[in-house]
Parts: sequence; C-alpha cells; structure tokens
Amino acid sequence: MKKGLFVCILAVLLFVVMPAFAGGTEEAAGGEVTITWPTHWVGEQGTGPIVEKMVSEFNEANAGEIKVVLEAHPEADAAEEVIRTRLAARQTPDFFLFKLGPSTRGYYDSNLLLDLTDELKKDGWGASFNPGALGVSTINGKVKSLPMENALTPVWYNKSLFDKAGVAEFPKDMNAFWAAAEKLKAIGVVPTSQMTGGANAWTSMLWFTHFLGSYGGPNAWELGWDDPAFEKAAAIMKRLYTDGNTTLDAIGAGPGESSAHYMNERTAMFINGPWFVANIRQNAPAVYKETVLTSAPAAGDYSGHQVGWLLTSAAAANTDDPARKAAVLDFFRYITSPESSKRRSIETGSLIPVQFEINPEDNIDPLQQQFIQAGNNATFLIDGIEAVMPVNVVQEFGQALSSMVLQDLSPKEFIELMKAAGN
Amino acid sequence: MKQRTISTTPFALQITAKVAKWALLILYLIIALLPILWLIMSSFKSEFEIISSPLAFPTSLNFVNFINAIRISGLHRFFINSFIVTAFATTLNLFFCSLAAFAVAREEWRFKSSFLIFATAMVLIPIIAFMVPYYSLITTIGLYNTIWALVAVYTAINIPISMFIITNFMTAIPHELEDSALIDGCSFWQRFSKILVPLTVPGLVTAGTFTFIGCWNEFVYAMLLTSSQEVRTVQYAVRFFNSEFRDDYGGMFAAIVLTMIPTIVIYIFMHDKIVSGVTAGAVKE
Amino acid sequence: MKQKKRKQKNLIWIIIFILPVLILLTTFFVYPLISLVVTSLTEWDGISPMKFVGLRNYSDLFSNPIFRLSIKNNLIWAASAAFLQVPLALLIALVLRRKPAGWKFFRSAFFLPNIISLVALAMLWRAIYNPYYGILNGLLNVLGMEHLARHWLGELNTVLPSLIVSYQIYVGYFVIILFAGSLSISDTLYEASVIDGANVLQQELYITLPAMRGFIISSETLAVAFALRQFETTFLMTAGGPANATSVMALFMQKRLAAFQNGMAAATGVLLVILGIFVMKGLQTLFGMRSDAVEDAQQ
Repeated sequence: MKKGLFVCILAVLLFVVMPAFAGGTEEAAGGEVTITWPTHWVGEQGTGPIVEKMVSEFNEANAGEIKVVLEAHPEADAAEEVIRTRLAARQTPDFFLFKLGPSTRGYYDSNLLLDLTDELKKDGWGASFNPGALGVSTINGKVKSLPMENALTPVWYNKSLFDKAGVAEFPKDMNAFWAAAEKLKAIGVVPTSQMTGGANAWTSMLWFTHFLGSYGGPNAWELGWDDPAFEKAAAIMKRLYTDGNTTLDAIGAGPGESSAHYMNERTAMFINGPWFVANIRQNAPAVYKETVLTSAPAAGDYSGHQVGWLLTSAAAANTDDPARKAAVLDFFRYITSPESSKRRSIETGSLIPVQFEINPEDNIDPLQQQFIQAGNNATFLIDGIEAVMPVNVVQEFGQALSSMVLQDLSPKEFIELMKAAGN
Repeated sequence: MKQRTISTTPFALQITAKVAKWALLILYLIIALLPILWLIMSSFKSEFEIISSPLAFPTSLNFVNFINAIRISGLHRFFINSFIVTAFATTLNLFFCSLAAFAVAREEWRFKSSFLIFATAMVLIPIIAFMVPYYSLITTIGLYNTIWALVAVYTAINIPISMFIITNFMTAIPHELEDSALIDGCSFWQRFSKILVPLTVPGLVTAGTFTFIGCWNEFVYAMLLTSSQEVRTVQYAVRFFNSEFRDDYGGMFAAIVLTMIPTIVIYIFMHDKIVSGVTAGAVKE
Repeated sequence: MKQKKRKQKNLIWIIIFILPVLILLTTFFVYPLISLVVTSLTEWDGISPMKFVGLRNYSDLFSNPIFRLSIKNNLIWAASAAFLQVPLALLIALVLRRKPAGWKFFRSAFFLPNIISLVALAMLWRAIYNPYYGILNGLLNVLGMEHLARHWLGELNTVLPSLIVSYQIYVGYFVIILFAGSLSISDTLYEASVIDGANVLQQELYITLPAMRGFIISSETLAVAFALRQFETTFLMTAGGPANATSVMALFMQKRLAAFQNGMAAATGVLLVILGIFVMKGLQTLFGMRSDAVEDAQQ
C-alpha cells in the first residue's frame, strides 16, 4: 500500500515539476538582441534558400549585437495559424509575414505592431518602395507593415496546342475566344483549367477577376456585387464550366489537379503567378517552353489589364525597448532593401514592389521575363479577391461557383450567394 | 472451439458462412492494405508523376525521395523527440487513466457517473477550438518550446478516449475475483495493481495503442507549442517538403513511410502483448 | 463501525486515484471550454478587443443555411458511424474472434489505415474517385457498368456518400476495441451452449452479443463522437464542397476561425458539444441503457 501511494505521488510530482526540466528557452547572451521570425519562407524550395542565406549574412554582419532566428513552419497555412494564435494571445512574434486584406486590417488598430510611419521618412527608405504598394500598406495615415511580394496572374496558354488547333494568335475578344475553344476541343484538347476546390477556388477565382476587370474597369471591385459587371463575369464562368470548356473534374478540383492538367497538355489555358515558374520548368519542360503569357480576351469595355495585388506583407512587434526597436528596424531595412529585394526576386521569380535595376547580365528566366513584361504592359491592375474581400467571402467563391454550375443557377443567383456570404 | 462449430451447425449454412467470412476478410484486407502499398509505391515517384497520374506505377524506381528525406537536417533528433514525447505521454496517460478508471469502475461514490460523463464528453471537442487557450496556458506555465509542453498536452487530450476504453474493460471484470481478494486482505492499491490491471491488459494495450498513434501523428500543437528545431517532432519532417505554392509529395511520402516504421513496429509488438495478456488472464480464471 | 472506517479510507484512495485526471481535465478542458463559451458571446477577430454581443452569434448561426446544412450532415455522419461503421467492425471482430487462419495478420492489417497520414489517405481517395484516372470508374468499366461511372466527388448526390464510404477505412479502430473486448468473454458460456445444441449464429446472437454489450455501446459512442467532430477528411477531400454539400459543423468552425470570426467559431464549437451530448444520450436510450447502468448490465 505504501508503495502504491509512493508511485502516485511520484507521478503527480513529476508532472508538476516538469517546468523545471524545461530546457528549450535560451537566454540571450549579454547585449545581443534576438529577433525570432516564425515563417513559411524556409525549406529547399521557393523563397527558403535565399532567405536563409540573407539572414545568416545579416547575423554575421551584426555578430554580437543582433541575431535573427528563423523559426521554420514549412506549411503556409499552419504558419498563418501559429502567427494568428500568438497575436490572439497577445504575444506578437518579433517579425512576421501576413496577408494584408479586409480581414487583417484590424492588426493596424491594435497596439501590437511597430509603427513604421516616421521611420520610412528617414534616409529615403519609404521612397524605395513602389508607391502603389506602399499606399495599400498605409491605413489612416499609418504604415505598420511593408509590402514584401506582389502577385501577378496573367493567362498562360500553350502555344503549340493553339498552333495545332489552328488558332494563330490568342483571341482578343470573347467571340474569338469561344471559337478558339471549339477548335481546341476539335483536336481533343480541353480549353481551360478550372477548379472550385481548395481554400479559395484559386484558378477560377482569377479567371473571374480577369473578366470582372474587363467589364468593370480598374475599380470594378468597388462597384459592389449589384453592378452588372459581376453578373456578366459570372455568366462567362458558367459557360467555362459547361460544354467541355474545362476538365471533367473541375468541380471540386484543387490546385494540384488544375495545374497538372495544364502541365500534361490536357488543357491549353491556365492562370497562376510567377511562383509556378520553377515548378513547370522542372516538371514539364516541354510545356514550359511553349507557354506564353497574355491578358484575358476583352469581354467588356476594358482590355489589356492584369490581375495583380499585394500578396505578402511583413510586420514587427511593437516594443518600448530602444535597443530592440533599433535592431528590428535594422533587420527590416536590410530585408526590404533594393539589393535584398533584387536577390530574392532573381532567385525566386517573385515580383517585389521595391525599386531596383535589372541588368542584362542578371540572366533572368525567360518566363519570368514574360511576367515582368506582362506587368509593364498591363493597361491597369485589378486586385485579386483576397485583397479586397474578407476571408468569409473568399471562402464562399468556390462554393457559390459550384452551386451555379451543379444546380444550374442563374448568374444573378450566384451573385446573391456571394452577397449572402458577406453578411 | 473448433469442435462446437462442426457439431451443431447445418452443412449448407457452414459453407455459406465460410464463403461470406473469407469474402469479408479478403475484401477488407485489400481496402486496408491499399493505402500503405500506394504510399510506398508513390514514395518512389517524382512530384509530377504523383499529381498527374497518382495511381500509375512509377516509371522508374528512384530512391531520391528517400535520400532527400534522410538528408533533412536533424532527422534523428526529431525521432528522438517524438519517442520521448510519445513514450512519456502514453505512459502518464495510461497510468492516470487507469487509476481514475479503477475508481469509477470498481468503487461506489457520489458524482462518479457525472465524473465519467464529464471525462468522456470531452471526446466531442474538436481540439483546434482550443489553440488560443492552450498557447496561453503553455506560455504562462513556462513550458513553451519544450518537449514537456507536448507531453502535457498529449497526456491530457487523450484522456477522454483512454478513460472511456479502460473504464469499459475494468467494468467487465466479474466482481467475485475482487471479493476473494478483499477477503485475503488486499489493500486498495493491491486490488488495483495485482488484480484489475493484469486482467485488463487488453484494454490498457488498446488505449495505449490509440494514445501512442495519436501522439506520434499529432501536428497542429507540435507546431504551435514549439519553435526551435531542437524540440521538433517527426511531423515537422513530414511537412518539410511543403512550401507556399508547391508540395513535393514524393519527398513527403518518403518521409511519411520512414516515420511510420516505428508506429508499425510498436503496434505489432503491443498487439502481441494483448494476446499474452489475455492468456495470462484466462489462466487465473 | 469498521465498515464505515474502511469506506472513509477508500474515499481518500478514490480521491487520490481520480486527482491526476481531474487536474488535467480541469486545466486542459474545463478552462478552455469556459473560454470557448465566453468567446462565443463576443465578436472577436482575434486581435481587436472582444465585443460582447450576447447570443447574437447563436441566432446568426441558426439563420445561416450553410450551418443548418452542416447540422444535417453531422447527423448523417453520426448515423453512418452508428449503423454502418460499428456494425461492420463488430462483424469483422466476431469473425476474427473465432481465430480463422491468419487472424493475427488480418487484425494487424486492418488497423494500418489508422496509422497513415490523413493527407496521404485523402490524396489516395481523391485519386480513386477521379473521373480521369480513378480506379472506381475503371472498375465499373471493366464490369460493364459504364453508365454508373461518374465524377464521384463533383456531383451533389454522390459526394457525401463517397466521403462516408471512404471514411469506413477506419473501421479497424473499432475492430480492435471490439476484438479485445470479445476476448474477455469466458469460454464456459459457450461450452454450455454446445451441449444445448446451439449453432454458430445462435451462439453469437444469444451469448457473444449480450456479453459484449458494454463494448458495443462504448464503440458506438466513440464512433459517433469521432464522426461528429471529424473535419479533416472532409477538409482534405472536398473542403466542404461542392456547393457546401459536404459541410459539417467542425469544418464550419474551422472556416470561421480562418475567417477571423472567432466568436462565431466558438459558438459553433459550443453547439457541436451540445449536439454531441444529445446524440450520445439518444444512442444510449436506443440501446436501452443509462450511462451509469453500464455496470449493472455487466453484472
């Protein structure tokens, strides 16, 4: 019996004194400021290697004074959850990335983020950014986050499939577009990749936005769901989902299926951003060589535009400690400097809203060059849905789209579903 | 056992039952083995082969995914951490739950049925609802970024299921056994340790298996409550090949295959224990 | 007198025995549950100050057609667990209990799907149901039933059944519980029945099933609880679509969390627990048991 009691007490004690064994938290060595950056910009693909390299160079240059610690969260969604949980628990990470949109504007109202407004006025730091992107990051006259990466999502098409189908050039208007679609179908090629699955029906959401821009112009999103531009763009989406204009599995397809169809030459058109270049170059080199980027055919009064928006922003935790604040600002300046931005851009193909010169000897991937051209040639940019709508509306896009197709709803009923999601 | 099936069941029924039995077993065996065979097959395929023709055989056997998976820096460390976390959490969970289950299943006291309902109703809660409270709690008690944070959380979140299963098994033991022990002058603790625990080995092993696998595969809290590579678990390695716009499923599947090996070994080992445990129980009867 | 003293002494032991579990439950379930209930009465984006809104989240939820559909789908999931998953598991456990050739291998193999990562399993099932390269359509074509081939996860009337069928791969979990439970039945019960001339079916019906009643009920309860709170399978396979046809409450909650609607998410969580308690109570009534009567039945 004594033995039993002893075992019980031992177990409870072990549990209670666990914190004493805790050895994970390190004390910073005298005077050195440690900045932890929980991020999905890690690993062997995409932005990971260059960011790791730049951070270690920064640490070397500031040895003994500042140390930036990358906290790896390879899965982007999980990283976002972690950051959000820490903010909700009022423990802001020292430095972090997030998506600035209607749902996250609340971050600016809190006192948790470091106010950069005055700092940007010094040494031309603010002037190094693309004014448009910096404008998006300014809310009520305050800048509490800085633009790190832009999205640009032109229409991709497979030139050789178009040639085989006898379509000499990419259609300029919708009549030509549907005619081209018929020719593609005649040689057994599905015209477009579409998807209603995943978190936000990515590819189809971008198609919709292209057409919305064509009907409603640069400020189409601000017109509100009752504007005819939305209904007309929805009508095109419905047609894209019928008559074999997209793949059989488009309803419910995720990003994997929709991009695989394009890379397999099952489909001739697709939409995605510059981050997809490395993937297609490696996995489908033949399709990569034949890919041409363009703007969507004109459906309404506007044409030649692209869908592009501020994709990723960076922010830092507010602090009263002057040494810490100076250290964080040092790192912020370093990671957003024209040089760092250029290195990151060349390495990953990301479009970064910071001004830097590109020289011919920089040896940029041809498809990436097409991206830069598409951005420069665009008559205007229209935001992606995630930049202008709260997350609860974005989530419903794919659901409303599949409702329209499966239940044969009218475009107007689709619009009603989207409006209901916002309430 | 064999004797009784032969002696009293009509011949036609026997044949039908036999066919039905084997059809059921083999059909379900195919369904159960398919995922693991597919996983192993896919881990030899390239990223693109997996997403473009997921069910096709690999065009060539390439081990590059496994080489990449093994190359993840600190892979052995993740394994050690996972082992420590899982072993501690499973042991503590089983010990605490069997104590409480004994009190519930074998003793009469007020509030006991409320206690059991309370403990088991927690099975219902989707654990992602608790991210903010758990994060606050763990940072407040100073366990953040230690493997003990994971031990504490895993011990706790597996209580409802373990309580449920162990209580069930303990309730099923006939009372006569205990009564005779009482007459022999067994103490409360001895009744628990000498009589009930040996008789409920199958239940303990079942609950232990579920807890072990739950801990080994847990990902959300493993990432939320730790920040440095030194305390990360194998689930980090499984996600290592994902990035924002691209998932390298080949690398991921190879990592999954590697991290699954310990669970399979332990599972088979534990289940042999069930059999020996039951035999031991039967002898005492 | 001696009796009473013994009882008092036992009480101390009982307290010691339940204390660790009680502490852990309070810390890791009661405290978060209270905070969940409090959050459910507020509007909170996870960073701005919480705004108290009373029961508005609840009334909003009940007027939301997607939430109502999620409740209905949750009940379908619960029913599938109670009337499909556990009976199937019971059948397999009963077969294994008679130790056919290779039963150890079968028992281990059946549990394997529970070890495999959900992400990989979901990918496999999506591939099986795919209209281009899926095995299911391929099988139907081979069997000459081409007319049945379809896009299983893309049609409103097949998507939920397809998800539920794929979920049956987890049957092994309950096979393990029921099989282990069946081993506790004493062989003497069967010896008597053989003398009475009972056949296999009669033995199972009149001896095994009543003796396993407690295990069957607990498997039912666990299976229903798991089915009610599951969202990973749905999330990874359909993300609730198409047209929200496969939305369930836990997924609805996860989406509210992702949309910075923490108050609404918390209210969904609270309602899920309440619904779960009702369903479990209903289940116990169905099996003619009160929760505290499990013990009586065993005696």
